[in-house]
Amino acid sequence: MKRYTVTLFSVLMILSMVLAACATPTPQIIEKTVEVEKVVEKTVEVEKIVEKTVEVEKIVEKTVEVMVTAEAEEGTLPRNETLYFNGQQWNPVVGWNPYSNNNNNAMAIAQQDNARVIMFETPYLYNMLDGKQYPLLADGDYAWNDAMTEVTFKIKAAAKWNDGTPVTAEDVAYTWATAVKYETPLAASNKDFIDTIEAVDAQTVVVKAKLGDDGKAVNPLQVQAYLSTNYVVQKAWTETLEKRANGDAAALLADPAEDVAYSGPYHKFFADESKVVYVRDDNYWGQDASMWGKLPIPKYLAHTIFKDNAAGSVAFAKGEVDVSQQFNSNVNLLWESYGLPISTYLTDAPYGIGASLPTAFFNLKAYGLDQLAVRKAIAMAVDYPTIIANAMTNQSATFDQVPRSLMNPTAGEQALYDREAVKDLQWAGNDIEGANALLDEAGIVDTDGDGWREYNGKKLSYVATCPAGWSDWQAAIEVVAAAGKKIGIDITTNYPDWGVYQTVVTASDKDLPEGYEIFMMWSDGAGPTQPWGRIRKLMSSEFVGMASNWNGNWGQYSNPDADELIKAIPAESDPAKLKEMYTELVKIYLSDVPSFTLMYRPQAFHAVNETVWTNFPHDGDGTTPPVPPLDLTDGWSIAGLYNLTLVNP
Amino acid sequence: MKGYQKYFLNKLSWFLITFVFAFLLNFILPRLMPGDPVAAIVSRVAQGMSNTSGVQAIYEQYARLFGTNRPIHEQFFIYIGNVARGDFGFSISQYPRTVFDVIRSSIMWTIALQFPAIIVGWLIGNTLGALAAYLKGGFDKILMPVSIFVSNFPAFGMAVILMVIFGVALEWFPTSGGYGFDLIPEFSWKFIRSVISHYQLPFWSIVLIAIGGQAIGMRSMAIYELNADYVKYARFMGIKDRKIIGYVFRNAMLPQITGLALSIGTMVGGALVAEIVFSYPGLGYTILNGVMGQDYPLISATTLIITIMVLSANFLIEILYGIIDPRIKAAQAD
Repeated sequence: MKRYTVTLFSVLMILSMVLAACATPTPQIIEKTVEVEKVVEKTVEVEKIVEKTVEVEKIVEKTVEVMVTAEAEEGTLPRNETLYFNGQQWNPVVGWNPYSNNNNNAMAIAQQDNARVIMFETPYLYNMLDGKQYPLLADGDYAWNDAMTEVTFKIKAAAKWNDGTPVTAEDVAYTWATAVKYETPLAASNKDFIDTIEAVDAQTVVVKAKLGDDGKAVNPLQVQAYLSTNYVVQKAWTETLEKRANGDAAALLADPAEDVAYSGPYHKFFADESKVVYVRDDNYWGQDASMWGKLPIPKYLAHTIFKDNAAGSVAFAKGEVDVSQQFNSNVNLLWESYGLPISTYLTDAPYGIGASLPTAFFNLKAYGLDQLAVRKAIAMAVDYPTIIANAMTNQSATFDQVPRSLMNPTAGEQALYDREAVKDLQWAGNDIEGANALLDEAGIVDTDGDGWREYNGKKLSYVATCPAGWSDWQAAIEVVAAAGKKIGIDITTNYPDWGVYQTVVTASDKDLPEGYEIFMMWSDGAGPTQPWGRIRKLMSSEFVGMASNWNGNWGQYSNPDADELIKAIPAESDPAKLKEMYTELVKIYLSDVPSFTLMYRPQAFHAVNETVWTNFPHDGDGTTPPVPPLDLTDGWSIAGLYNLTLVNP
Repeated sequence: MKGYQKYFLNKLSWFLITFVFAFLLNFILPRLMPGDPVAAIVSRVAQGMSNTSGVQAIYEQYARLFGTNRPIHEQFFIYIGNVARGDFGFSISQYPRTVFDVIRSSIMWTIALQFPAIIVGWLIGNTLGALAAYLKGGFDKILMPVSIFVSNFPAFGMAVILMVIFGVALEWFPTSGGYGFDLIPEFSWKFIRSVISHYQLPFWSIVLIAIGGQAIGMRSMAIYELNADYVKYARFMGIKDRKIIGYVFRNAMLPQITGLALSIGTMVGGALVAEIVFSYPGLGYTILNGVMGQDYPLISATTLIITIMVLSANFLIEILYGIIDPRIKAAQAD
């Protein structure tokens, strides 16, 4: 009797696994003659809110290779009309409110240097490859007045909201006014350099810069950047929202805004704990000849919410993700070893375009680290090629390819400084001999024979740190620690939880505590204010003393000469003069070594699986202006959505 | 019945006292963690923000909103108000969602995964353990080492092995998600089939480990009981084996039932490993995120639910014991 029970259980176990395995048929490619009805009028219930009539395209009878899975039916996203992403959305979407900036709705709401514009739109689109801003809602280029105190631009006549009403200058002005009135993040980040935004007429917008005591704009660079960074929100909807929030700022920001008006090509189709799906608005104004001239190709954009990089990578390799924006370690193996139809923007290492400079900061008040020789020796001894090979699996340019400065590897930024003038200062790393000589020369030697150097009789002993679990950073920090050992400086590693780490590092109103002598943080990537913005955040002393400093200069470096140059650059327009100033800043940075770059990191990792879709942006793909390797949703990279084609149409 | 009433009241008062302390600890402990939850939000909002006073203003705005700038006793009364209202206040990590909303959207996935897994693992494990004790011989010699081996498998390892074999190599099952990546939830066979198929790997990764542990426990309990005096006596009396086995397993089962009740009580905590490896929706990962982001309201609410479930399960078991096993009641009522 008991024996039967065992057998029964075992059979049940196996049976349930086998049955379930049969549940999803594995797709296979076969030759099949497809006959499809010519034109079908079909009623689809969208979100249970609206009834929408969709016209299904005319398909003619022909012999094609098709992926045979279950038939496309309601409740299924047709594979060849859906573009899948990963790497942007890590938690469920919590709202659709463009005023909030905190809706965890990464694909729809991201007001940044390369703003994501699938749902809400900015007047201009920034292109990180050529550093230019191209009109989106705006009609033609913007223009400064002669005194450089205000910028004027026009709104395209064709630009419409999803409810069919035109996008007007009044919408632009009211978006700003609302931000200021309710002190939203948008206002907080811009009111230091923007005074007012006014509508001259229905199409014309004037942005007035905040003026300094000298009557000049405080920061013209950031006024320009505003135009490609921030969305235009509909005035009529904003008024509805204000009514609903009863004038309360907290309620206004917390509103999930399911009814929001938008001008972009996509909007909410579905969102839950596992995914978010956006559907195309076939009335999108951008199909007007004055903008794209057509609709973006995929009908749906979908983002599965993976819980870690590993799960995202597996799905990407299986073809369940088309555009991967996450870090896929050893991405080249996906095509070299597994022969998958996966590719990156560049065919060889570093596979992408570096944009930001993950950096190790020194606590400049720590014992011995106030000595230039110690800082420079550590930075010279670090084995950067190992960091790039291990931490980034070669997805970063090396410092031989792009010598260190303050610039990212894009051609535009590299041209901004005089490489010859700083050549002697650019160390390549792994220079143990040079580092040892430097320390010996400074009189920082091992006096008691324990193998570690002392400064004024005290052993040089530091902790190098970064947040726990940030595996690429941890790998880099380990290499930094190893360099210390080679030159007689005792560097150990420690990885606090991010919750603790961030609180300590961003408290620039106090000295950094013990255990944070060498620590890693990020730097700005590519954007309309770069490289100025990045340099400011690496070197400007204006951040010293801030209670919650999310900007930069976390090592609390202070140099009046650098401050002066950083202050002067935004108002300077003479290219020769600019180059001189940038070169000077690079010189100061590489001489003082307040921090040092460990690797180059792309603005967004960009790898694509061409099982279903193809014609993604690649280096030298002939697009003009070139489509940058981002997410096909942000800044000028959204142009890539209009170029896609199906592998099997 | 007098004795039982006393026993019941005694248990009830302990239940209430424990609950009050647990409630206090649920509130206090998360707030003792080093770090600052508002900083995490600011870091998210302030990305790409370049002016200095702006970041500070945002920080203060959120600190006001979540009350983290107030003294802890005031925060406690705010917390009680939120609990009484039933929504537990705004989640910090998923603001502007309320904690209730966050929990509601993932708790069904967790219960649907955990409850059957616990029950199935418990049933199979106990049956196998009892059989091993009773049949001895070859069955025991194989089952015992296998159980020890499997039950000591790290959950993570088991999940990854199942995924690599059945998900990646054989492609029998999907590797991630709660349902097909190309589906929208609706009531249809296709969707249900997809859910079942996605359910298999996370489910078995939990069950397989549970089976081993349960089997080992049950086997030793049963062996102990099989050698007890009353069994020998019953055998001498000529009572049928089947009857004796009935007695034996009823006694051996008691500690296993306590274990089951506790497992069910803590199941809301989620199957974190299975959720992460298979990107399966559920509360475990939500709670982990809450802890990482120091989402006090979310941590307090979820631990409160777990506390209530564990206490209630314990309470019910104790009450049932009083009925099932008069010795316990007698001992406690003294």
